[in-house]
Amino acid sequence: MKTQHDPTTPLPPGAARSWLRMRAVSRRHAYVLVRSPHRLFDVTLWPLVDVLMFGSLASFVGTGNASGGKQAAGYLLAGIILWHIVYQSQIAVSTGFLEETWSRNLLNLMITPIREIEYVGGVALFGMAKLVIGVGLMMIGGFVFFSFNITSLGFAVVPIAAVLLLVGWAISLFVIGVVLRYGPGAEALAWGVMFVVLPLSGVFYPIDALPAAVRPIALVLPTTYAFAALRGVVDGEALNWAYVGIAAGGAFVLSLLSFWFLVSMLKLFRRRGYVTRYA
Amino acid sequence: MDTVLSARGLVKEFKRAIAVDGVDIEVKAGERVALLGPNGAGKTTTLLMILGAISPDKGEVEICGVAQQGNRSKAAENVGFAAGYLPLAGEMKVREYLTMFGEIYGIPDPSKAIAEGLERFRIQHLSEAKGTQLSSGQRTLVGIVRAVLHKPRLLVLDEPTASLDPDVAGRVRSGILDLCADNGTALLVTSHDMLEVERLCERVLFLSAGRVVADGAPSEIAERFGREDLEGVFLHLADENYQHSDFPTSQHTDHIL
Repeated sequence: MKTQHDPTTPLPPGAARSWLRMRAVSRRHAYVLVRSPHRLFDVTLWPLVDVLMFGSLASFVGTGNASGGKQAAGYLLAGIILWHIVYQSQIAVSTGFLEETWSRNLLNLMITPIREIEYVGGVALFGMAKLVIGVGLMMIGGFVFFSFNITSLGFAVVPIAAVLLLVGWAISLFVIGVVLRYGPGAEALAWGVMFVVLPLSGVFYPIDALPAAVRPIALVLPTTYAFAALRGVVDGEALNWAYVGIAAGGAFVLSLLSFWFLVSMLKLFRRRGYVTRYA
Repeated sequence: MDTVLSARGLVKEFKRAIAVDGVDIEVKAGERVALLGPNGAGKTTTLLMILGAISPDKGEVEICGVAQQGNRSKAAENVGFAAGYLPLAGEMKVREYLTMFGEIYGIPDPSKAIAEGLERFRIQHLSEAKGTQLSSGQRTLVGIVRAVLHKPRLLVLDEPTASLDPDVAGRVRSGILDLCADNGTALLVTSHDMLEVERLCERVLFLSAGRVVADGAPSEIAERFGREDLEGVFLHLADENYQHSDFPTSQHTDHIL
Protein backbone atom coordinates (compact mmCIF):
# COMPACT_ATOMS: atom_id res chain seq x y z
CA MET A 1 0.00 0.00 0.00
CA LYS A 2 1.36 3.43 -0.97
CA THR A 3 1.80 5.73 2.02
CA GLN A 4 1.43 9.49 1.73
CA HIS A 5 4.61 11.54 2.10
CA ASP A 6 4.83 13.90 5.09
CA PRO A 7 5.13 17.30 3.35
CA THR A 8 7.29 18.71 6.15
CA THR A 9 10.12 16.27 5.44
CA PRO A 10 12.31 16.06 2.32
CA LEU A 11 10.98 14.10 -0.64
CA PRO A 12 12.92 11.05 -1.78
CA PRO A 13 15.05 11.52 -4.93
CA GLY A 14 13.06 11.55 -8.14
CA ALA A 15 11.00 13.62 -10.52
CA ALA A 16 8.80 15.13 -7.77
CA ARG A 17 11.79 16.53 -5.95
CA SER A 18 13.34 17.89 -9.15
CA TRP A 19 10.03 19.53 -10.04
CA LEU A 20 9.83 21.08 -6.55
CA ARG A 21 13.29 22.60 -7.00
CA MET A 22 12.54 23.89 -10.49
CA ARG A 23 9.33 25.46 -9.23
CA ALA A 24 11.20 27.11 -6.35
CA VAL A 25 13.74 28.67 -8.74
CA SER A 26 10.99 29.71 -11.11
CA ARG A 27 9.01 31.40 -8.36
CA ARG A 28 12.10 33.19 -7.08
CA HIS A 29 12.53 34.82 -10.50
CA ALA A 30 8.85 35.69 -10.63
CA TYR A 31 9.27 37.69 -7.39
CA VAL A 32 12.28 39.48 -8.87
CA LEU A 33 10.37 40.40 -12.03
CA VAL A 34 7.23 41.58 -10.26
CA ARG A 35 9.13 43.62 -7.66
CA SER A 36 11.55 45.29 -10.08
CA PRO A 37 9.34 47.13 -12.56
CA HIS A 38 12.29 48.10 -14.76
CA ARG A 39 12.79 44.41 -15.53
CA LEU A 40 9.31 44.29 -17.00
CA PHE A 41 10.62 46.40 -19.89
CA ASP A 42 12.14 43.25 -21.39
CA VAL A 43 8.72 41.65 -21.75
CA THR A 44 6.51 44.68 -22.29
CA LEU A 45 8.08 47.83 -23.63
CA TRP A 46 10.91 46.53 -25.82
CA PRO A 47 8.74 43.99 -27.65
CA LEU A 48 6.15 46.68 -28.38
CA VAL A 49 8.83 49.13 -29.49
CA ASP A 50 10.15 46.47 -31.89
CA VAL A 51 6.68 45.88 -33.32
CA LEU A 52 6.15 49.60 -33.77
CA MET A 53 9.52 50.09 -35.40
CA PHE A 54 9.41 47.16 -37.79
CA GLY A 55 5.70 47.58 -38.52
CA SER A 56 6.25 51.26 -39.38
CA LEU A 57 9.23 50.36 -41.51
CA ALA A 58 7.10 47.86 -43.39
CA SER A 59 4.39 50.49 -43.91
CA PHE A 60 6.92 52.96 -45.27
CA VAL A 61 8.59 50.43 -47.58
CA GLY A 62 5.20 49.39 -48.89
CA THR A 63 3.92 52.92 -49.59
CA GLY A 64 2.46 52.98 -53.11
CA ASN A 65 3.08 49.28 -53.57
CA ALA A 66 0.18 47.36 -52.07
CA SER A 67 1.31 43.79 -52.59
CA GLY A 68 4.97 44.58 -51.94
CA GLY A 69 3.98 46.41 -48.78
CA LYS A 70 1.99 43.46 -47.53
CA GLN A 71 4.91 41.15 -48.23
CA ALA A 72 7.33 43.47 -46.47
CA ALA A 73 5.02 43.69 -43.49
CA GLY A 74 4.88 39.90 -43.39
CA TYR A 75 8.66 39.49 -43.51
CA LEU A 76 9.38 42.22 -41.01
CA LEU A 77 6.61 41.62 -38.49
CA ALA A 78 6.68 37.82 -38.63
CA GLY A 79 10.47 38.04 -38.47
CA ILE A 80 10.61 40.29 -35.44
CA ILE A 81 7.89 38.39 -33.56
CA LEU A 82 9.63 35.07 -34.07
CA TRP A 83 13.00 36.65 -33.38
CA HIS A 84 11.66 37.55 -29.96
CA ILE A 85 11.24 33.83 -29.24
CA VAL A 86 15.02 33.48 -29.54
CA TYR A 87 15.60 36.74 -27.68
CA GLN A 88 13.17 36.17 -24.81
CA SER A 89 14.17 32.55 -24.19
CA GLN A 90 17.85 33.48 -24.26
CA ILE A 91 17.63 36.62 -22.19
CA ALA A 92 15.34 35.02 -19.57
CA VAL A 93 17.79 32.22 -18.80
CA SER A 94 20.93 34.37 -19.06
CA THR A 95 19.64 37.21 -16.90
CA GLY A 96 18.07 34.67 -14.52
CA PHE A 97 21.57 33.38 -13.85
CA LEU A 98 23.02 36.89 -13.79
CA GLU A 99 20.44 37.82 -11.17
CA GLU A 100 22.07 35.25 -8.85
CA THR A 101 25.43 36.93 -9.37
CA TRP A 102 24.03 40.46 -8.92
CA SER A 103 22.31 39.47 -5.67
CA ARG A 104 25.36 37.40 -4.58
CA ASN A 105 23.09 34.41 -4.22
CA LEU A 106 25.31 32.13 -6.26
CA LEU A 107 27.22 30.60 -3.35
CA ASN A 108 23.97 30.07 -1.43
CA LEU A 109 22.68 28.03 -4.35
CA MET A 110 25.91 26.21 -5.15
CA ILE A 111 26.10 24.61 -1.74
CA THR A 112 22.53 23.26 -1.87
CA PRO A 113 21.64 19.92 -3.44
CA ILE A 114 20.08 21.59 -6.50
CA ARG A 115 21.51 20.13 -9.69
CA GLU A 116 22.62 22.42 -12.51
CA ILE A 117 19.99 20.97 -14.83
CA GLU A 118 17.26 21.62 -12.24
CA TYR A 119 18.38 25.21 -11.84
CA VAL A 120 18.47 25.88 -15.60
CA GLY A 121 15.12 24.07 -15.94
CA GLY A 122 13.60 26.35 -13.29
CA VAL A 123 14.86 29.52 -14.95
CA ALA A 124 13.79 28.28 -18.39
CA LEU A 125 10.35 27.46 -17.02
CA PHE A 126 9.93 31.01 -15.80
CA GLY A 127 11.42 32.23 -19.08
CA MET A 128 8.55 30.51 -20.88
CA ALA A 129 6.11 32.67 -18.95
CA LYS A 130 8.09 35.79 -19.92
CA LEU A 131 8.18 34.61 -23.51
CA VAL A 132 4.40 34.14 -23.61
CA ILE A 133 3.88 37.65 -22.23
CA GLY A 134 6.44 39.30 -24.54
CA VAL A 135 5.49 37.50 -27.75
CA GLY A 136 1.79 37.71 -26.86
CA LEU A 137 2.05 41.49 -26.58
CA MET A 138 3.86 41.64 -29.91
CA MET A 139 1.12 39.63 -31.59
CA ILE A 140 -1.51 41.96 -30.15
CA GLY A 141 0.53 45.04 -31.11
CA GLY A 142 1.05 43.74 -34.65
CA PHE A 143 -2.66 43.17 -35.04
CA VAL A 144 -3.84 46.42 -33.44
CA PHE A 145 -1.34 48.78 -35.09
CA PHE A 146 -0.71 47.09 -38.44
CA SER A 147 -3.54 44.58 -38.90
CA PHE A 148 -0.95 41.82 -39.03
CA ASN A 149 -2.21 38.53 -37.64
CA ILE A 150 0.59 36.00 -37.23
CA THR A 151 -1.90 33.22 -36.48
CA SER A 152 -3.00 33.53 -40.10
CA LEU A 153 0.24 31.76 -40.99
CA GLY A 154 -1.21 28.65 -39.37
CA PHE A 155 0.44 25.78 -37.54
CA ALA A 156 3.48 25.93 -39.82
CA VAL A 157 4.87 28.52 -37.40
CA VAL A 158 4.84 26.07 -34.49
CA PRO A 159 7.84 23.88 -35.46
CA ILE A 160 9.78 26.99 -36.47
CA ALA A 161 9.02 28.55 -33.08
CA ALA A 162 10.09 25.35 -31.29
CA VAL A 163 13.46 25.37 -33.06
CA LEU A 164 13.98 29.04 -32.22
CA LEU A 165 13.14 28.38 -28.57
CA LEU A 166 15.81 25.68 -28.46
CA VAL A 167 18.36 27.99 -30.09
CA GLY A 168 17.58 30.69 -27.50
CA TRP A 169 18.20 28.27 -24.65
CA ALA A 170 21.39 26.98 -26.28
CA ILE A 171 22.77 30.53 -26.62
CA SER A 172 21.91 31.23 -22.97
CA LEU A 173 23.91 28.18 -21.82
CA PHE A 174 26.86 29.49 -23.81
CA VAL A 175 26.49 32.96 -22.26
CA ILE A 176 26.33 31.51 -18.73
CA GLY A 177 29.46 29.48 -19.47
CA VAL A 178 31.31 32.62 -20.59
CA VAL A 179 30.18 34.54 -17.48
CA LEU A 180 31.34 31.66 -15.25
CA ARG A 181 34.71 31.76 -16.94
CA TYR A 182 35.28 35.51 -17.28
CA GLY A 183 33.17 36.91 -14.46
CA PRO A 184 30.87 39.91 -14.34
CA GLY A 185 32.80 41.67 -17.12
CA ALA A 186 31.30 39.24 -19.62
CA GLU A 187 27.71 40.13 -18.72
CA ALA A 188 27.32 42.40 -21.75
CA LEU A 189 27.46 39.28 -23.89
CA ALA A 190 23.98 38.33 -22.69
CA TRP A 191 22.55 41.17 -24.77
CA GLY A 192 25.36 41.70 -27.24
CA VAL A 193 25.35 38.18 -28.67
CA MET A 194 21.81 38.73 -29.96
CA PHE A 195 22.91 41.72 -32.04
CA VAL A 196 25.40 39.45 -33.78
CA VAL A 197 23.04 36.53 -34.36
CA LEU A 198 20.12 38.67 -35.61
CA PRO A 199 21.62 40.07 -38.83
CA LEU A 200 23.54 36.87 -39.60
CA SER A 201 20.37 34.76 -39.33
CA GLY A 202 18.57 36.57 -42.13
CA VAL A 203 15.64 37.31 -39.87
CA PHE A 204 14.18 39.84 -42.31
CA TYR A 205 15.91 38.98 -45.60
CA PRO A 206 17.45 36.01 -47.43
CA ILE A 207 21.10 35.58 -46.55
CA ASP A 208 21.97 36.28 -50.18
CA ALA A 209 21.48 39.90 -49.19
CA LEU A 210 24.41 39.65 -46.77
CA PRO A 211 27.95 40.54 -47.86
CA ALA A 212 29.61 37.47 -49.35
CA ALA A 213 32.28 37.46 -46.65
CA VAL A 214 29.83 36.73 -43.81
CA ARG A 215 27.51 34.35 -45.69
CA PRO A 216 29.48 31.24 -44.63
CA ILE A 217 28.79 32.15 -40.97
CA ALA A 218 25.10 32.58 -41.72
CA LEU A 219 25.02 29.18 -43.39
CA VAL A 220 26.04 27.36 -40.21
CA LEU A 221 23.45 29.06 -38.00
CA PRO A 222 20.30 27.02 -37.42
CA THR A 223 18.29 30.24 -37.16
CA THR A 224 19.09 31.01 -40.82
CA TYR A 225 17.10 27.96 -41.96
CA ALA A 226 14.29 28.58 -39.50
CA PHE A 227 13.76 32.13 -40.81
CA ALA A 228 14.12 30.97 -44.44
CA ALA A 229 11.30 28.50 -43.73
CA LEU A 230 9.28 31.30 -42.14
CA ARG A 231 9.63 33.54 -45.19
CA GLY A 232 8.36 30.70 -47.36
CA VAL A 233 5.29 30.44 -45.15
CA VAL A 234 4.78 34.22 -45.29
CA ASP A 235 4.92 33.96 -49.12
CA GLY A 236 2.07 31.47 -48.91
CA GLU A 237 4.15 28.40 -49.68
CA ALA A 238 3.96 25.09 -47.84
CA LEU A 239 6.31 24.72 -44.90
CA ASN A 240 9.78 23.72 -46.11
CA TRP A 241 10.40 20.73 -43.86
CA ALA A 242 13.92 20.33 -45.21
CA TYR A 243 14.80 23.75 -43.81
CA VAL A 244 13.03 22.97 -40.54
CA GLY A 245 14.93 19.68 -40.33
CA ILE A 246 18.30 21.37 -40.89
CA ALA A 247 17.37 24.07 -38.34
CA ALA A 248 16.27 21.46 -35.78
CA GLY A 249 19.41 19.36 -36.31
CA GLY A 250 21.57 22.47 -36.03
CA ALA A 251 19.74 23.60 -32.90
CA PHE A 252 20.26 20.17 -31.37
CA VAL A 253 23.99 20.17 -32.13
CA LEU A 254 24.28 23.76 -30.85
CA SER A 255 22.50 22.73 -27.62
CA LEU A 256 24.89 19.82 -27.10
CA LEU A 257 27.91 22.04 -27.72
CA SER A 258 26.58 24.76 -25.40
CA PHE A 259 25.83 22.22 -22.69
CA TRP A 260 29.29 20.73 -22.99
CA PHE A 261 30.81 24.22 -22.85
CA LEU A 262 28.76 25.12 -19.77
CA VAL A 263 29.73 21.93 -17.94
CA SER A 264 33.40 22.54 -18.79
CA MET A 265 33.23 26.13 -17.57
CA LEU A 266 31.47 25.06 -14.38
CA LYS A 267 34.27 22.57 -13.68
CA LEU A 268 36.82 25.32 -14.28
CA PHE A 269 34.78 27.67 -12.08
CA ARG A 270 35.00 25.16 -9.22
CA ARG A 271 38.63 24.28 -9.87
CA ARG A 272 39.80 27.91 -9.86
CA GLY A 273 37.55 28.96 -6.99
CA TYR A 274 35.83 31.70 -9.00
CA VAL A 275 32.84 31.52 -6.66
CA THR A 276 34.71 33.89 -4.37
CA ARG A 277 34.11 36.62 -6.99
CA TYR A 278 30.49 36.54 -5.93
CA ALA A 279 30.88 36.11 -2.17
CA MET B 1 29.96 8.08 17.06
CA ASP B 2 29.26 8.42 13.31
CA THR B 3 31.61 10.50 11.26
CA VAL B 4 29.66 13.25 9.48
CA LEU B 5 32.64 14.90 7.84
CA SER B 6 35.81 13.30 6.66
CA ALA B 7 38.21 15.48 4.66
CA ARG B 8 41.53 13.89 3.81
CA GLY B 9 44.63 15.42 2.27
CA LEU B 10 42.94 18.55 0.92
CA VAL B 11 45.22 20.64 -1.27
CA LYS B 12 44.34 23.81 -3.14
CA GLU B 13 46.69 26.04 -5.05
CA PHE B 14 45.69 29.36 -6.60
CA LYS B 15 48.14 30.69 -9.17
CA ARG B 16 51.42 30.90 -7.28
CA ALA B 17 50.04 30.49 -3.75
CA ILE B 18 49.18 27.30 -1.90
CA ALA B 19 46.00 28.16 0.01
CA VAL B 20 45.44 24.73 1.56
CA ASP B 21 48.25 22.24 1.90
CA GLY B 22 47.21 18.77 2.97
CA VAL B 23 44.41 19.44 5.45
CA ASP B 24 42.71 16.51 7.21
CA ILE B 25 39.52 17.16 9.16
CA GLU B 26 37.18 14.67 10.77
CA VAL B 27 34.02 15.74 12.56
CA LYS B 28 31.82 13.28 14.47
CA ALA B 29 28.05 13.49 14.86
CA GLY B 30 27.08 16.21 17.31
CA GLU B 31 30.64 17.47 17.66
CA ARG B 32 31.24 21.25 17.69
CA VAL B 33 34.50 22.13 16.00
CA ALA B 34 36.13 25.48 15.29
CA LEU B 35 38.48 26.07 12.37
CA LEU B 36 40.76 28.90 13.39
CA GLY B 37 43.70 30.72 11.96
CA PRO B 38 44.96 34.12 10.85
CA ASN B 39 43.71 35.79 7.68
CA GLY B 40 44.87 33.85 4.67
CA ALA B 41 45.39 30.64 6.64
CA GLY B 42 43.07 28.75 4.29
CA LYS B 43 39.92 28.50 6.44
CA THR B 44 37.36 29.70 3.91
CA THR B 45 38.97 27.77 1.04
CA THR B 46 38.84 24.64 3.19
CA LEU B 47 35.17 25.25 3.98
CA LEU B 48 34.33 25.88 0.33
CA MET B 49 36.02 22.60 -0.62
CA ILE B 50 34.04 20.80 2.05
CA LEU B 51 30.87 22.36 0.65
CA GLY B 52 31.72 21.42 -2.95
CA ALA B 53 31.86 25.04 -4.19
CA ILE B 54 35.58 24.69 -4.94
CA SER B 55 37.14 21.44 -6.11
CA PRO B 56 40.32 20.38 -4.35
CA ASP B 57 43.47 19.82 -6.41
CA LYS B 58 44.13 16.78 -4.25
CA GLY B 59 42.32 14.99 -1.48
CA GLU B 60 38.74 13.94 -0.88
CA VAL B 61 35.71 14.95 1.13
CA GLU B 62 33.01 12.65 2.46
CA ILE B 63 29.82 13.91 4.08
CA CYS B 64 27.97 11.24 6.04
CA GLY B 65 29.79 8.59 4.02
CA VAL B 66 28.93 10.20 0.65
CA ALA B 67 31.93 11.27 -1.43
CA GLN B 68 31.62 14.93 -2.42
CA GLN B 69 33.35 14.40 -5.77
CA GLY B 70 30.84 12.99 -8.20
CA ASN B 71 27.95 13.08 -5.68
CA ARG B 72 27.80 16.77 -4.83
CA SER B 73 24.00 16.94 -4.75
CA LYS B 74 23.59 13.92 -2.47
CA ALA B 75 26.40 15.01 -0.16
CA ALA B 76 24.90 18.52 0.07
CA GLU B 77 21.63 17.13 1.45
CA ASN B 78 23.28 16.62 4.82
CA VAL B 79 24.98 20.00 5.06
CA GLY B 80 23.82 23.52 5.86
CA PHE B 81 25.97 26.59 5.34
CA ALA B 82 25.70 30.22 6.41
CA ALA B 83 28.19 33.05 6.37
CA GLY B 84 28.02 36.53 7.81
CA TYR B 85 29.10 38.00 4.46
CA LEU B 86 26.39 36.44 2.34
CA PRO B 87 23.40 38.68 1.62
CA LEU B 88 19.78 37.69 1.10
CA ALA B 89 18.17 38.04 -2.29
CA GLY B 90 16.91 41.62 -2.00
CA GLU B 91 13.65 41.29 -3.91
CA MET B 92 12.27 38.51 -1.71
CA LYS B 93 10.60 38.53 1.66
CA VAL B 94 12.23 36.43 4.37
CA ARG B 95 9.38 33.88 4.28
CA GLU B 96 9.58 33.57 0.50
CA TYR B 97 13.35 33.26 0.60
CA LEU B 98 13.24 30.54 3.23
CA THR B 99 10.44 28.74 1.37
CA MET B 100 12.56 28.70 -1.76
CA PHE B 101 15.50 27.12 0.04
CA GLY B 102 13.25 24.69 1.92
CA GLU B 103 11.88 23.50 -1.42
CA ILE B 104 15.36 23.29 -2.91
CA TYR B 105 16.21 20.96 -0.02
CA GLY B 106 13.20 18.91 -1.13
CA ILE B 107 10.68 19.86 1.58
CA PRO B 108 7.26 20.28 -0.09
CA ASP B 109 5.86 22.34 2.79
CA PRO B 110 8.68 24.06 4.68
CA SER B 111 6.36 26.42 6.63
CA LYS B 112 6.70 24.42 9.87
CA ALA B 113 10.51 24.33 9.63
CA ILE B 114 10.54 28.05 8.83
CA ALA B 115 8.35 28.90 11.84
CA GLU B 116 10.56 26.76 14.12
CA GLY B 117 13.75 28.32 12.79
CA LEU B 118 12.51 31.90 13.08
CA GLU B 119 11.31 31.18 16.61
CA ARG B 120 14.58 29.56 17.64
CA PHE B 121 16.49 32.70 16.71
CA ARG B 122 13.67 35.01 17.88
CA ILE B 123 13.11 36.70 14.53
CA GLN B 124 9.48 35.73 13.79
CA HIS B 125 8.72 39.41 13.27
CA LEU B 126 11.00 39.49 10.21
CA SER B 127 8.97 36.97 8.29
CA GLU B 128 7.42 39.53 5.93
CA ALA B 129 10.47 41.83 5.71
CA LYS B 130 12.39 42.07 2.45
CA GLY B 131 16.11 41.25 2.30
CA THR B 132 16.96 44.90 1.68
CA GLN B 133 15.19 45.95 4.91
CA LEU B 134 17.33 43.76 7.19
CA SER B 135 20.38 44.75 9.20
CA SER B 136 23.54 42.67 8.81
CA GLY B 137 22.79 40.87 12.09
CA GLN B 138 19.27 40.04 10.99
CA ARG B 139 20.56 38.80 7.65
CA THR B 140 22.99 36.52 9.47
CA LEU B 141 20.19 35.11 11.61
CA VAL B 142 17.98 34.51 8.56
CA GLY B 143 20.95 32.90 6.81
CA ILE B 144 21.37 30.46 9.70
CA VAL B 145 17.65 29.66 9.69
CA ARG B 146 17.98 28.93 5.96
CA ALA B 147 20.95 26.66 6.63
CA VAL B 148 19.10 24.50 9.16
CA LEU B 149 15.64 24.18 7.54
CA HIS B 150 16.38 20.63 6.41
CA LYS B 151 17.92 19.61 9.76
CA PRO B 152 21.40 19.01 8.36
CA ARG B 153 23.75 16.61 10.09
CA LEU B 154 26.57 19.10 9.60
CA LEU B 155 26.21 22.86 9.97
CA VAL B 156 29.06 24.89 8.51
CA LEU B 157 29.32 28.55 9.54
CA ASP B 158 31.88 31.00 8.22
CA GLU B 159 32.33 34.00 10.53
CA PRO B 160 28.71 33.82 11.74
CA THR B 161 29.01 36.66 14.25
CA ALA B 162 31.40 38.96 12.40
CA SER B 163 30.28 42.57 12.84
CA LEU B 164 27.34 41.65 15.09
CA ASP B 165 26.58 43.44 18.33
CA PRO B 166 27.00 41.38 21.52
CA ASP B 167 23.24 40.86 21.91
CA VAL B 168 22.72 39.44 18.43
CA ALA B 169 25.98 37.48 18.62
CA GLY B 170 24.75 35.94 21.88
CA ARG B 171 21.45 35.04 20.27
CA VAL B 172 23.28 33.38 17.38
CA ARG B 173 25.43 31.37 19.81
CA SER B 174 22.56 30.22 22.02
CA GLY B 175 20.41 29.35 18.98
CA ILE B 176 23.23 27.27 17.53
CA LEU B 177 23.93 25.49 20.81
CA ASP B 178 20.22 24.64 21.22
CA LEU B 179 20.06 23.40 17.68
CA CYS B 180 23.08 21.14 18.11
CA ALA B 181 21.67 19.79 21.39
CA ASP B 182 18.17 19.20 19.98
CA ASN B 183 19.05 17.70 16.61
CA GLY B 184 22.51 16.24 17.25
CA THR B 185 23.84 18.52 14.49
CA ALA B 186 27.61 18.69 14.17
CA LEU B 187 29.12 22.13 13.83
CA LEU B 188 32.13 23.36 11.91
CA VAL B 189 32.66 27.06 12.43
CA THR B 190 35.29 29.66 11.61
CA SER B 191 35.65 32.77 13.72
CA HIS B 192 38.14 35.38 14.77
CA ASP B 193 36.42 35.78 18.12
CA MET B 194 38.33 33.43 20.41
CA LEU B 195 35.98 33.97 23.33
CA GLU B 196 33.06 32.92 21.17
CA VAL B 197 34.93 29.82 20.07
CA GLU B 198 35.61 28.83 23.67
CA ARG B 199 31.89 29.18 24.42
CA LEU B 200 30.68 27.41 21.32
CA CYS B 201 33.14 24.67 20.48
CA GLU B 202 34.55 21.66 22.29
CA ARG B 203 37.33 21.14 19.77
CA VAL B 204 39.56 23.49 17.83
CA LEU B 205 41.67 23.08 14.72
CA PHE B 206 44.25 25.76 14.08
CA LEU B 207 45.26 26.40 10.49
CA SER B 208 48.42 28.21 9.59
CA ALA B 209 49.62 28.72 6.03
CA GLY B 210 47.16 26.14 4.77
CA ARG B 211 48.07 23.42 7.27
CA VAL B 212 46.51 22.09 10.44
CA VAL B 213 49.03 22.95 13.14
CA ALA B 214 46.99 22.09 16.21
CA ASP B 215 43.94 19.97 16.97
CA GLY B 216 42.32 19.51 20.38
CA ALA B 217 40.17 20.98 23.13
CA PRO B 218 40.61 24.77 23.58
CA SER B 219 42.23 24.38 27.01
CA GLU B 220 44.57 21.61 25.80
CA ILE B 221 45.76 23.71 22.91
CA ALA B 222 46.35 26.77 25.08
CA GLU B 223 48.36 24.57 27.46
CA ARG B 224 50.32 22.95 24.65
CA PHE B 225 51.41 26.34 23.35
CA GLY B 226 52.10 27.65 26.84
CA ARG B 227 49.48 30.40 26.53
CA GLU B 228 46.65 31.43 28.79
CA ASP B 229 43.88 31.09 26.23
CA LEU B 230 43.10 30.62 22.55
CA GLU B 231 43.71 34.27 21.85
CA GLY B 232 47.28 33.87 23.03
CA VAL B 233 47.72 30.87 20.72
CA PHE B 234 46.17 32.79 17.86
CA LEU B 235 48.53 35.74 18.32
CA HIS B 236 51.50 33.39 18.61
CA LEU B 237 50.59 31.66 15.34
CA ALA B 238 49.86 34.94 13.59
CA ASP B 239 53.28 36.17 14.66
CA GLU B 240 54.92 32.96 13.46
CA ASN B 241 53.05 33.32 10.18
CA TYR B 242 54.37 36.85 9.84
CA GLN B 243 57.96 35.80 10.51
CA HIS B 244 57.69 32.99 7.94
CA SER B 245 55.60 34.91 5.46
CA ASP B 246 57.01 32.76 2.64
CA PHE B 247 54.73 29.85 3.60
CA PRO B 248 56.13 27.84 6.49
CA THR B 249 57.30 24.37 5.69
CA SER B 250 56.50 21.19 7.58
CA GLN B 251 59.81 21.51 9.46
CA HIS B 252 58.57 24.44 11.46
CA THR B 253 54.92 23.52 11.92
CA ASP B 254 54.81 19.76 12.38
CA HIS B 255 56.41 19.95 15.82
CA ILE B 256 53.38 21.74 17.15
CA LEU B 257 51.02 18.81 16.57
